[in-house]
Amino acid sequence: MKWQITILTIILFVVIATGFTIHSSKPTPLVFKVPPGWPQPVYNFKENPLTVQGFELGKKLFYDGRLSKDGNFPCAGCHQQFAAFATYDHNLSHGYDNSLTIRNAPALQNLAWQKALMWDGGINHLDAQPLAPITAPNEMAETIENIIKKLNADPEYPSLFKQAFGTKEISTKRIMQALSQFELMLVSCNSKYDKVMHGEAAFNLPESLGYAIFKQKCASCHKEPFFTDFSYRNTGLPMDDVLQDVGRMKITEKTADSLKFKVPSLRNVAVTQPYGHDGRFFFLINVFDHYRKSIIVGPTTDSLLRNKLPLSNYEIGQLTAFLYTLTDSSFLKDPRFAPPGYTIIPSFMHVH
Amino acid sequence: MILFFLCICSIEVLHAQNLQLKFVPFAGKQSLVLMDSTYHTALNEPITFRNFLFYVSHIQLTNDKGHTVYLNNAYYLLNASDTASLTIHLPVKPQSIVAIQFTIGVDSIKNVSGIQTGSLDPMLGMFWTWNTGYIFAKLEGNSPVSKAPAHYVTYHIGGYKHNENALRVIQLNISKKQWVHQIDIGADVLAWFNGKQPLSIQEHPICHSPGKLAMQIADNYAQMFHIIHVE
Ligand code: HEC
Ligand code: HEC
Repeated sequence: MKWQITILTIILFVVIATGFTIHSSKPTPLVFKVPPGWPQPVYNFKENPLTVQGFELGKKLFYDGRLSKDGNFPCAGCHQQFAAFATYDHNLSHGYDNSLTIRNAPALQNLAWQKALMWDGGINHLDAQPLAPITAPNEMAETIENIIKKLNADPEYPSLFKQAFGTKEISTKRIMQALSQFELMLVSCNSKYDKVMHGEAAFNLPESLGYAIFKQKCASCHKEPFFTDFSYRNTGLPMDDVLQDVGRMKITEKTADSLKFKVPSLRNVAVTQPYGHDGRFFFLINVFDHYRKSIIVGPTTDSLLRNKLPLSNYEIGQLTAFLYTLTDSSFLKDPRFAPPGYTIIPSFMHVH
Repeated sequence: MILFFLCICSIEVLHAQNLQLKFVPFAGKQSLVLMDSTYHTALNEPITFRNFLFYVSHIQLTNDKGHTVYLNNAYYLLNASDTASLTIHLPVKPQSIVAIQFTIGVDSIKNVSGIQTGSLDPMLGMFWTWNTGYIFAKLEGNSPVSKAPAHYVTYHIGGYKHNENALRVIQLNISKKQWVHQIDIGADVLAWFNGKQPLSIQEHPICHSPGKLAMQIADNYAQMFHIIHVE
């Protein structure tokens, strides 16, 4: 009887011990699913393998005001889930010390497929993107050194970095990789449109008429399945004389790129108002009116728009019905992406 | 404790046994003094310097048999305000060499693959955040002829893309054939203003992005190095 107890104890000990080592040494891999029919992502996951712990850490950082100088401007302050991670109802977003951004905050979705970030494509890697808002005086106005100091002084962060990356070290690279892990998982692929494409739902009449018009008049730039071809184009918006934003030319310094901006995705477009690179269009109807009436043809205006884009009121109604099918409510309400530990909207999400 | 002491000693010894490159910042013929001294450029414009930094990478040596001694590529950030950063301990023994070659800047692959660590950590400020890429070399100061706010002069030079490439390869010959364990290399900040396209502070007090001006300045500073002394 006694030897049986001994063996049982040993077995129990071994099981618990292996349980412990597995738990403490290796983070749990997180599977990135490429939606059916979509191309392979451009992000190099081999350099930054997704894990549950890395994702959770990234989410905590994304929602943490301490990444900004005065604690008030987390990434999530300008990128709100219910607005598909754009800034809800703001043409320009509020940053540190009563400043404003110079561009409209875009939705954050399907980032794993984006070769270049920002309206002008100036940032060439998702991991390098957070450096821009973090250090910009009109956004988070902070330094990486300070963030590392603050995170090291926190009772939780060092062990969260250990769980995600193996040691407690907090570095620029790890902070950025964790943020990317969270952002990469922001995949929106479950709208009514997607269900129709997979034969799981059907468009009503206005929606299907709208889809036909869309394929004819819009899809050459707003290409499926991302509803952007990721190119830079001038849609004939006159330059705002205060912002003086030349767009893509800021990066390439080529006059041929003057006033060109990245074609934005139209997924979740119903919740990302205002629209345009500087948020000058408050409603979808303003965008349609621009396309049919106010295009200013200049030297770099896109050849597809040189004769404006005629749209009747009927067509606008049908296009609108179609664009609303791009709203992915499971993405907008996905609890995986909600603030860590919150069930209600936290105070920093207060809309000015 | 003794072990610890022994380790420290052996590290010291290792360093002494390695070939060292020592960069010495100059302003013309004098050694560079940051902040306090006023210098004059080739176009006779006065300037005081505050910051002088540059990346050195892809170091190669040529030995007296004409063979290239390849070293594992490393990136060194040299900072005139940080004396320790100005000496590079190469991972090779002293030997007989006739030439040294290195690159000023950071090659394109490191500019397009996310966040790097060590001397390439973007935290060190040698990185453009809004137009991703490394600043290869930085020269900052003040000049009364600068029309920028507070008379600042800021040259941030970089650019890895085709048509914007500011990487420059430097080749220096070592005349005396001898057993070399230290090479002192002068880096003259006034060379930035001199060259095929002399740089006028009044005309260009600022260069903050890759492009034509950055490439011209890189052409100029590619000439800033000279061997002062070989031991
Ligand atoms: C003060 C508001 C503000 C804050 C804070 C902010 N952003 Fe942004 N974000 C913007 C704006 C505005 C843009 C568009 C900028 C541009 O195109 O020049 C943007 C663009 C982006 C993009 C590019 C998306 C695309 O499709 O090109 C990503 C990714 C992003 N932000 C992530 C983050 C992360 C991560 C953080 C926190 C580290 C953050 N943002 C903090 C306002 C903000
Ligand atoms: C020539 C390419 C092109 C065509 C054709 C085109 N768009 Fe656009 N669209 C763009 C670009 C580029 C922008 C961003 C413009 C800017 O802000 O500078 C844009 C912006 C938008 C926006 C604002 C989105 C946001 O989040 O800011 C909407 C909505 C939109 N387009 C809908 C449409 C519809 C509907 C059609 C067809 C009737 C269409 N577009 C045709 C290129 C195009």
